[in-house]
Amino acid sequence: MTALLAQASAFGSVTLYHYLFVSAALFALGVIGFLSRRNLIIMFLCTELMFQGAGLALIAFGRHWMNPTGQVFVIFVLTIAAAEAALALGLVVYLYRRKSTLDAQAWAELAG
Amino acid sequence: MSEKLALLHPEMVLFAATCVVMVLGLARSAVWRSACAWLTGGALAAAFVLALRSPVTDGLFPHFLAYTKAMIAGVALLILPVMSGTVDRWYERRVAKGAAFDALRVTRGEFYAFFLLSVTGVMLCATADDLIWLFLALELTSLPTYIMVAISTPRVRAQEAGVKYFFLGALAAATFLYGFAMLFGATGSTSLDAITIQFRGEGLSTIATLGLVMALVGVSFKIAAAPMHFYTADVYQGAASPVSAFLAFMPKAAGLIVLIQLLATVGWSWGEAGDALPDAIRVALWVIATLTMTIGNTLALLQSSAKRLLAYSSIAHSGYMLVGLIAGPGGTVARNGLAAAMFYLLCYGVMNLGAFAVLASLEVRGRDGEPAEADAIDDLRGLFRVRPGLAWAMTLCALSLLGLPPLLGFWGKLVLFTSAIGAGEIGLVVVMGLNSAVAAFYYLRLVRASMLDERDPDAERPIVTEALGRRLAAGLSAAGVVGVVVFASTLQSASHAAATPNPRYDEFLKVEAPARQSPPAATPTARHN
Repeated sequence: MTALLAQASAFGSVTLYHYLFVSAALFALGVIGFLSRRNLIIMFLCTELMFQGAGLALIAFGRHWMNPTGQVFVIFVLTIAAAEAALALGLVVYLYRRKSTLDAQAWAELAG
Repeated sequence: MSEKLALLHPEMVLFAATCVVMVLGLARSAVWRSACAWLTGGALAAAFVLALRSPVTDGLFPHFLAYTKAMIAGVALLILPVMSGTVDRWYERRVAKGAAFDALRVTRGEFYAFFLLSVTGVMLCATADDLIWLFLALELTSLPTYIMVAISTPRVRAQEAGVKYFFLGALAAATFLYGFAMLFGATGSTSLDAITIQFRGEGLSTIATLGLVMALVGVSFKIAAAPMHFYTADVYQGAASPVSAFLAFMPKAAGLIVLIQLLATVGWSWGEAGDALPDAIRVALWVIATLTMTIGNTLALLQSSAKRLLAYSSIAHSGYMLVGLIAGPGGTVARNGLAAAMFYLLCYGVMNLGAFAVLASLEVRGRDGEPAEADAIDDLRGLFRVRPGLAWAMTLCALSLLGLPPLLGFWGKLVLFTSAIGAGEIGLVVVMGLNSAVAAFYYLRLVRASMLDERDPDAERPIVTEALGRRLAAGLSAAGVVGVVVFASTLQSASHAAATPNPRYDEFLKVEAPARQSPPAATPTARHN
């Protein structure tokens, strides 16, 4: 932790701390968007935002430790995110054909 | 290399069967299509045998794989007959009468394929020794289940449940992924062994604690524990009963295994006596376990739907299993909390499946005269008059879930209690005892409806479905609840062996794990190029 703070004090250059800040911001924006938006597509984009936040943190840490495993991890994460995107769009289209709306509030059948 | 591959033999068999089933399900001939179920069963049986022969590893839990994978394959074999009715029967009958075959409408082959893929994912969670591997295995477990929920019945409700499950699942996946990223950041490695070395040598940094807690919260979605439990009732009710039965065990097993793997990196060697988790993690788990038990049992009291009731009961059972994880591994069978949790998972898998299988084998006539799934507790009324066998199966499974001696659930709960007492977690034991007492109320409602209540004279219920496999599974589970008790001590010692830490693990870490990397001092900043 102290090492991170020491790096952060090196103004003028982009440090690990900056990357982590951006990744945390992406993740937090994703959570906020997920909880506050109603449209299924937007909600899905918010989860993607969270995935990319985690991915950015992985790359930054990988660079910090000079360990390429972090970047390898990100490639796997991207693959999973692509699979999830295909699945999400499939499910959303499937549901849209039945209900003609993408509003998450319109799910009257399942209470609570 | 071949030794490492030998660990994966059950998964390989299952994956090969998945590919075959996926193609076979699109065959024009109904005979080939109906072979999917048998092929799935054969693959699971082969995986069961191969799992029992899993090699002993050098890792922290040398015998972990045999017990865990055999349990997963065994319960999957029990779930399979419940699945057998999950087909578009109307469409199959029309094809049999000469209607044109349309490959796009077949739901059988891919359904079994998704089932197998998910089971493969759960087994991979047990084999995993790396964060990347854990992440991929967890996603492999959950991605097929989203589709299984959505296609389980043609009703809109199932699709809504699928979408809901998917979105909350993605949220949870992102959460534990961020946790994994923090763990990687704190230790500089994704290998669980290297992370263990780091934690033993330098303790937990703030980032590592943050990462672990985020990973715990994310994985608690899979086991339907407190902060991530709210999807459970809706999804289990929306999905067809066979799929609910699957969801109540497989993702939960995956989550529990991952939790054990993650907690083992920290180890139970902290605290005053040196036999507990570090305080921050222990408190987080303590809160999660207490909330999970209490919320699950309290909300289960209020339900009028049997499926929602079982969903909340499954939340409560996750809480019980977490108690075992807090207690940690100990020297004896009675003290080993991890073994208790793994044994309880097996008991829970058998008895919970029985309750869901009874529900799945009943149907009611909807307002339009079409058969609909039995859902309400009232749909069970008078079951004893119509089908005494099913009523007995429901009674035995409900009483076992309640933990009544001498049924299986009691033996499972007993070791959980003794391990928690041995670890000095008296508070948790009290909470768990109170919760078990509260749970009696709603489990006895299931028993009363199926055994004692008279049948409603106006309603045409309960009607038994034509799917024979579901009744078979109900019968087998009920027989298991009574019969497995005979082997309880054998299974307990097997789970104890599975969850006993390797005494020579430290030597293994010194020799095998890569030397810890330190961040290069000369390059503190990231270059842009």
